[in-house]
Amino acid sequence: MEKSLFRYIWTHSKRDQLIVCAVVLASLPFYFMSLDLPRQIVNQAIQGEAFRDGNATAPFLHLSYEWPKWLGGGTLEIFQGFQVGRLGLLLGLSTLFLFFVIVNGAFKYWINVAKGALGERMLRRMRFDLFSMVLRFTPDALRTVKSSETATIIKDEVEPIGGFIGDAFITPIFLGMQAITALAFIMIQNVWLGLIALAVIAVQFTIIPKLRRELLRLGKQRQIASRQLAGRIAEVQDGIEVVHVHNAYNWERAEIGHRLFNLFTIRLKIYNRKFFVKSLNNFLAQLTPFFFYAIGGYFALRGTLDIGQLVAVIGAYRELPPPLKELIDWDQQRLDVQVKYDQVTQHFAEERLVPLVEAREEAEEDQPLVGELVAEDIRVAGPHGDMIIEGGAFAVTLPASVALVSNGGAAASSLARILARRMSEFSGRIRIGDRDLTQLPVPVVGRRIAYAGVDPILFPGSIRDNLIYGLRTKPLARSEEEKKEMDLRIAEAFKTGNPTESIGDRWVDYERVGARDENDLDRILLDLLDRIGMGDTVYLFGLAGRIDPERHMALAERVVEARRRLRETFLSNGMADLVEPFDPDRYNSQATIAENLLFGVPISEEFRGRNLAENGQFRSAIDRAGLTDDLVRMGLQIAETMTEIFEGLPPGHSLFEQFSFIGAEELSEFEAILRRHGRGEGTLRREDRTRLLALPLAYVEARHRLGLLDGQLTTRIVEARALVREVLEKAGSDGVEFLDPERYCAAAPLRDNLLFGRVSYQVANARARVAEAIAAVVRELDLLEGIERIGLDYQVGTAGRLLSPQERASVNLVRCLVKRPDIMVIDGAFSPFDEARSQQLLELLLELLDQQSLFMVLPNDRQAGAFNVQLRFRDGQIITDKTAAPAPRPARPEPAAAQRITGEVA
Amino acid sequence: MTLETEVQSLRQVPMFRDVDPARLKLLAFTSERVQFSNGQRFFSQGDPSDAAYVILDGRASVLLNTPGGDIQVAELGSNALVGEMGILSDTPRSATIMAAEPTTALRIDKRVFLELLAQFPQMSLAIMRELAKRLERTNAQLVAQSS
Repeated sequence: MEKSLFRYIWTHSKRDQLIVCAVVLASLPFYFMSLDLPRQIVNQAIQGEAFRDGNATAPFLHLSYEWPKWLGGGTLEIFQGFQVGRLGLLLGLSTLFLFFVIVNGAFKYWINVAKGALGERMLRRMRFDLFSMVLRFTPDALRTVKSSETATIIKDEVEPIGGFIGDAFITPIFLGMQAITALAFIMIQNVWLGLIALAVIAVQFTIIPKLRRELLRLGKQRQIASRQLAGRIAEVQDGIEVVHVHNAYNWERAEIGHRLFNLFTIRLKIYNRKFFVKSLNNFLAQLTPFFFYAIGGYFALRGTLDIGQLVAVIGAYRELPPPLKELIDWDQQRLDVQVKYDQVTQHFAEERLVPLVEAREEAEEDQPLVGELVAEDIRVAGPHGDMIIEGGAFAVTLPASVALVSNGGAAASSLARILARRMSEFSGRIRIGDRDLTQLPVPVVGRRIAYAGVDPILFPGSIRDNLIYGLRTKPLARSEEEKKEMDLRIAEAFKTGNPTESIGDRWVDYERVGARDENDLDRILLDLLDRIGMGDTVYLFGLAGRIDPERHMALAERVVEARRRLRETFLSNGMADLVEPFDPDRYNSQATIAENLLFGVPISEEFRGRNLAENGQFRSAIDRAGLTDDLVRMGLQIAETMTEIFEGLPPGHSLFEQFSFIGAEELSEFEAILRRHGRGEGTLRREDRTRLLALPLAYVEARHRLGLLDGQLTTRIVEARALVREVLEKAGSDGVEFLDPERYCAAAPLRDNLLFGRVSYQVANARARVAEAIAAVVRELDLLEGIERIGLDYQVGTAGRLLSPQERASVNLVRCLVKRPDIMVIDGAFSPFDEARSQQLLELLLELLDQQSLFMVLPNDRQAGAFNVQLRFRDGQIITDKTAAPAPRPARPEPAAAQRITGEVA
Repeated sequence: MTLETEVQSLRQVPMFRDVDPARLKLLAFTSERVQFSNGQRFFSQGDPSDAAYVILDGRASVLLNTPGGDIQVAELGSNALVGEMGILSDTPRSATIMAAEPTTALRIDKRVFLELLAQFPQMSLAIMRELAKRLERTNAQLVAQSS
């Protein structure tokens, strides 16, 4: 990026800046006219100066131009004007005034919008430029740069710069002109007083910036300190486990407290300085009138200065300070923003970035990476200057499977990273056929080489999004986008140097993986996940997932069908008591009272959990059903039992969370309610009743066994269902989706929709048996793929934290496999798996990649025999062993696209 | 059958005889009441020990897996505690327990049980006392056999 902010602004926005400037200048005559008109209205129309010579009419809108004397003088009549009477003139001039008011307003509106848009566009460009640089950080820079600091810079620090850009050129020009006009006017009135004013201004403009230099230094400090604060907060949160493990709360608290103190002192210094400079500036501004009064008055008394002139000068001086003040403010802002800009550009200094390479799409380069791989004189230096590999050389004919057997050092991993183009700090030559590995264009590397390291990096999104991440290299088909919207988006992208591609387009390259469409791709993904051992997990994710019945209409219908089939299976296999189905006319003893009352699934938060007890609609419904008192009584009983049996457990004990209706911190509050009730205070307070009412809502008779429900009460609860539904529907609430045996319930997970009931708490091993029965029906009705596809929608969370380490590693491997790389490099990606699993995975990979090359770092020799070639590392040398002549691999029937990729092999 | 009746059953178990009633109630509340049909197994020999059971109603056979097939070595009736040794010693199941008729039992989860022991020393003491008594009985039997 340019070193100077102004150059950056000028390079990217000079056209817009000039246009806005021109419009500002064009607006000035109108502005002056509107200032002059009131005087004309008063003098000409009201006081009648225009009619002074006894004229009955006067010209309105008379336009003429007086030629200057040196051009010969004379008057050019442009428009004679209309002859109008006094009232006509008044109305005419007033209307003219109104016209100018509107014109000025319009100008002002346009200028403000244009300035705002200009600033926002530049901000967008700057942010995008900075983000592009983030993608270019060198590995060295990445070791020191904190991601959260970069985020603060791009998000917060450039924001004020954007706000300033709209004013960068226009304000100084505009204000400067105003100031010069006022100064010139004073000069014309009296040169000496003008010179005094000029002298004071000169003092202002030299002293103030000097004083502000310190302010800038402080501003710089503040910016860095607050950036580091953001970085530290993110660090602590990312490493929160260490803080917990080592009980470092106090240290971290003190650390942040210290930083905040530093920030405070810097800001305090800034305030002191700022307001000192401000008052000095005000003082200097008031100094000029002092000179005018004192010196001008002296001359007036002496009779050398006309009093009228003095008054005019003082009047004119009133016009001078506001623009000057604003100009000085603008200058302050300029320096401020320049400092910020400097800080930002330092963060993205050139030496921290890899040189920009033009992404060349060279078709002839994009050949499969097969043939003779020859590495010569490879040298890799370690962090302490020692040589990890010194003059290593080897040759392998690709495709081949190559084991990089580690000697316990970093050599094998380094070579793996070099081969995957993840590391460039080495010397030597690696050629594949006649191509230099280090010279392969980045797109080719991305397409043809896959690398799975120790740390599987996942982005938030669904499993599917993560799996197809490597297939999104460029948009392949335009999506349906509204023309106008698209034109605007693309025009703006051009104006701001942003990419014109839309993320709404189809980016996924189906052909490359041999898929016809989205469904086919899902099938391929599921097949790979299944083979890698994650099929069951995805199935379970699918069962726990929710679907939109509108979008997946066929699946929803089949699930409802499977629901019936499942019920039949239960009945015919003597498993009827395993699941208690939801029946509109019967109480479900395996479900909570809330579920029984609603006979539906909450959609909005206000109908969930305890919130239900506070929900007005629900309360009025159970009031009308006459259930409130019963429920409150149950609440009292539950509270009594809970306070009795959980007494003495320390707060925060896991048993509370798992079993108690009442949190540890609420125990004392409920004890107080019970005491109040026990003292015979008769009716409970309103808020006490609400809290008690919340307890039985989560009560399941079969599970909690407190014996609170009898047949009569359950009948009344079932009867109240209709009432609850009626009240909610009448109120137009869509917070609950009611259950219907014949319809899919979008608010409930797929599993609940299949089951349409609750698994019994009382039957031993019921859950496992029900799961088996579900799996059998799913297979029978061929629902597996549909459910697993829903499982692909499972959100993996930040950095994939909602997945287990094994699942993360599996997703990472499938992400590499699905793009069908010519060379797959595996460096520690198996580490979350135990030996048996990793042996299975290895066999799978060798089978899947039988037409491609596999390089894998192995910790020891145990699995090396399965590979064609073993590379071992000894004393910085690379020793090559070949298992046997690679047996001619049986050509498997491959989809057409796969043959295209590997076509060169055969 | 409610929590109260389960507490009554627990009180009949020698190991829990001396435990505070409120604690027994907590133990009952944190346990699950489950039904086994005739012939259904509580667990099989060699399974990891994940829970202990108190038989509330019904009968269960204790089976040992031998080369000659399963042989029944004992029968358990109401208020019998079974599977507690496995969760205390963290060893796999040493025998198979199978319901001899429709049986209801209280399933005490291992994790919950150990947490309760960790939390309430009085409960641990009661268990130790019971284990010591058993050891004493075994010693006495050994002495009787060897003499």
